[in-house]
Amino acid sequence: MIDVQHLTKRYGRVTAVDDVSFRVEKGEILGFLGPNGAGKTTTMRVLTGYMPPTEGRALVAGHDILEAPLEAKRRTGYLPETPPLYPEMTVRDYLMFVATINGLASAERRRRVETAMERTRVADMASRHCGKLSKGYRQRVGLAQAILHNPDVLILDEPTAGLDPKQIHETRDLIKSLGGDHTVILSTHILPEVAQTCSRVVIINKGRVVAIDTPENLTARLRGAETMFVQVDSAGADATPVIAAVPGVTGVTIAARRDEQASYEVASERGHDIRRQLAAAIVTQGWGLLELRPLRMSLEEIFLQLTTEENAGGAEVPRA
Amino acid sequence: MRNVLAIARRELRSSFASPVAYVAVGLFALVFGYFFYATLVFFAERSLQATQFGMGGPMNVNQMMIRPLMLNVSVIVLFFLPMLTMRAFAEEKRSGTFELLLTRPLTDWQIVTGKFLGAMAMYSLMLLVSLVSILLLFLLGNPEWRQVATSYLGLLLMGGCFVALGLFFSSLTRSQLVAGVLTFSALLLLWVINWTADSAGPVMRAVVQALSITDHFDDFSRGVVDTRHLVYYLSFIGFGLFLTARAIDSERWKG
Ligand SMILES: Nc1ncnc2c1ncn2[C@@H]1O[C@H](COP(=O)(O)OP(=O)(O)OP(=O)(O)O)[C@@H](O)[C@H]1O
Ligand SMILES: [Mg+2]
Repeated sequence: MIDVQHLTKRYGRVTAVDDVSFRVEKGEILGFLGPNGAGKTTTMRVLTGYMPPTEGRALVAGHDILEAPLEAKRRTGYLPETPPLYPEMTVRDYLMFVATINGLASAERRRRVETAMERTRVADMASRHCGKLSKGYRQRVGLAQAILHNPDVLILDEPTAGLDPKQIHETRDLIKSLGGDHTVILSTHILPEVAQTCSRVVIINKGRVVAIDTPENLTARLRGAETMFVQVDSAGADATPVIAAVPGVTGVTIAARRDEQASYEVASERGHDIRRQLAAAIVTQGWGLLELRPLRMSLEEIFLQLTTEENAGGAEVPRA
Repeated sequence: MRNVLAIARRELRSSFASPVAYVAVGLFALVFGYFFYATLVFFAERSLQATQFGMGGPMNVNQMMIRPLMLNVSVIVLFFLPMLTMRAFAEEKRSGTFELLLTRPLTDWQIVTGKFLGAMAMYSLMLLVSLVSILLLFLLGNPEWRQVATSYLGLLLMGGCFVALGLFFSSLTRSQLVAGVLTFSALLLLWVINWTADSAGPVMRAVVQALSITDHFDDFSRGVVDTRHLVYYLSFIGFGLFLTARAIDSERWKG
């Protein structure tokens, strides 16, 4: 559905996007993740035909964005970083205008506008002036504008920015329901959002792609070893030798110690579940096993690790 | 065409939502009214003198009233039109709605002509307001309707040039103020340039006359529609809009 090939965009001497390539299949929801200034907005602006790439090319819904811009744009809905509203127009008039320039037939327009307002829950603001809306409502009208003509491809630049928690939840549900018949690219800074809504993630830093994968794989690939968190009531004794003796354990560190209890982080070989033996070893010592859980690296940590890495270039995911 | 009209309609409606439109139309009506009154009084006095001293009957309302009035109006228009065009692109760029227009299935040409028609509709409204006073003349005397009609055609075309120029300057900046000032300065320059025509040599004179938008209006105010002027105005408008479309496109590449 979307095919980006060696895309580079320079603003004068600043390279905002540097040789980015990726594909998005029909029905996928792709998350675009990266720190401020990474080049997310710039990539989206190229994909929507707002600005041409300096090098490389992009196909959207089967049409080259430079060679057949009208065809590509007709099949794309776009929510820019700042919702593009005309302050002096009412929400309904504004959506009617966007419906018209999207080429919808006049018989269809009203129905589509009403549907879009229902889906994004702005119907109660239909006759309010856009300039008098709160930030969250502006964002939602912007979203309504993007889905109005039922486009094949949706490009959403930080769709949940400025929304309250309830709205974030509803918007995510809306985006998830759009995936399936629509292809969605969304950018965000909120990591759990990516894990919850996206089928694949592109992590981008300083204009370069650092990683592309599913959220699950990304989490898994980054952990070279499995780590367990164990809390033991050993009546003051050091449990380290006992834990280290369990087959498969490669390292033990004391994470915290308080009174009779201590907690340990236990590293083990990958794909080797040590939980049963570990529990048995502790219990046979007569100690109390207070807690035992796998330590997973959160997407947050992965993100920080990938984007703060020196020479973050290259699509290869560094091992933890 | 539907896209062009949608943009024009939106443009016109947003003009009315901003105070600028009311100020422009209102002030224009006021200034026009003043000039109308002044010309009328002047004409009445001259007319009276002429009959008193037996200088051959009442004077011609067309030559002595309508023509000078229209020449004045052409200058007033020059002062007012920058107000109607300065928002056009500058405001869209500032507020981010330009990103909407450029990512919808529209051609640059559709956007530019839409903006042009929107501003022209607003300008026509201004002229319509002034036409009310002219109708008074028909009640009082017997001016020639042909001359009034060609004058207004001329005003419309001349204003079209101003609008095209204003749109071009508006497409260059994100600031309404800068767009307005640039447009006004350019129009002023094109107006005063023909003052130098008399003292210049023949070549310079031809160049200056070609540049002076207001100069081409003279014949229209006399009731004459000369194709030369018609072609001049239409090509000026076409060229202005073409430059505007180019400016939008080149901005895209710059980012
Ligand atoms: N119009 C512009 N002219 C010059 N440089 C620009 C322009 N727009 C963006 N840049 C630069 O390009 C780089 C990428 O910016 P971009 O807006 O794409 O980042 P982003 O990933 O969307 O960031 P954020 O998370 O803050 O929205 C930045 O270094 C920015 O300064
Ligand atoms: Mg951004």
